[in-house]
Amino acid sequence: MASVSVSHMILFIASIVIAASVAGVFTDSISQVSQAIDDRGLSVSENVRTDIEVISDSGSDAVYDETTNNVTIHVKNTGSQRLVAEARFIDVLVDGRYETDVTVTLLDGAESWGPGEVVRLDISPNDGSGLGTGDHRVKVIVNEDEEVFRFRI
Amino acid sequence: MGFSVSGAAAIVFAGMFIGFGILYGAAANGFERVSDAQDGRSEDVLDTRNTDINVTSAEYSGDRLTVLVDNTGAAPIGLNATDFLIENEYQTGWRGPATVDGDAETELWLPGEQLNVTVYTSDVPARVTVVTGNGVTESREVN
Repeated sequence: MASVSVSHMILFIASIVIAASVAGVFTDSISQVSQAIDDRGLSVSENVRTDIEVISDSGSDAVYDETTNNVTIHVKNTGSQRLVAEARFIDVLVDGRYETDVTVTLLDGAESWGPGEVVRLDISPNDGSGLGTGDHRVKVIVNEDEEVFRFRI
Repeated sequence: MGFSVSGAAAIVFAGMFIGFGILYGAAANGFERVSDAQDGRSEDVLDTRNTDINVTSAEYSGDRLTVLVDNTGAAPIGLNATDFLIENEYQTGWRGPATVDGDAETELWLPGEQLNVTVYTSDVPARVTVVTGNGVTESREVN
């Protein structure tokens, strides 16, 4: 009889240990999935709240400076999300080509690119060699919000 | 043997219960956050649709540029969020002397009212641009 009780005890302990391991792995996996869902929700809500507008006048001759070969455009934060006014958070493409030489300047004494604030983008296209005569387009992407600005030289 | 099975099942069920509790909390939080963002965005879009401006005149005389802009929409516009550009050059300090229907103190530009912006510049500007807080933009050639 004693041997039966001992074997039952061993089986009981083994089953409890296995069940605890299964439950532990399950809750750990669920926690990771939950964290991912939480992060994704935050990211999607930031994207939804983000809205930008290029407010430069495409009819003006001052968009492209033929002396410095720079394109200057003004971008306004028209959403409700505070954005980061740094070139690494703003993707700029000129005529489909990704530009890395972009200077971002906050205007009107603003301390950050909050809702309603404007930044100036000074873009040096084609590694500083500038643009030729004709139609051109600049695409600005912030938090998946895309704006296209067309102008002519 | 029977107690082992039911004990193990109880632990696994408890683990699943806790796990689904965490999952539900995260999913509900994420959904609420996105839903709030979409509500806010809808209100912003409605405001933008209700906003309209018209640059009625832009005159340069001497070294003085006078721009008259009508609020032709249905929404009030905040002057502190309004932007003014001359020849793609962002202007600062224009809000101080600007008047709305003759009132220099107000920050509100209501429907039907006219904004009067006066800027002194020695360069003869070709075009001016006025932008409201929600991005409604209107440009005009200077006469």
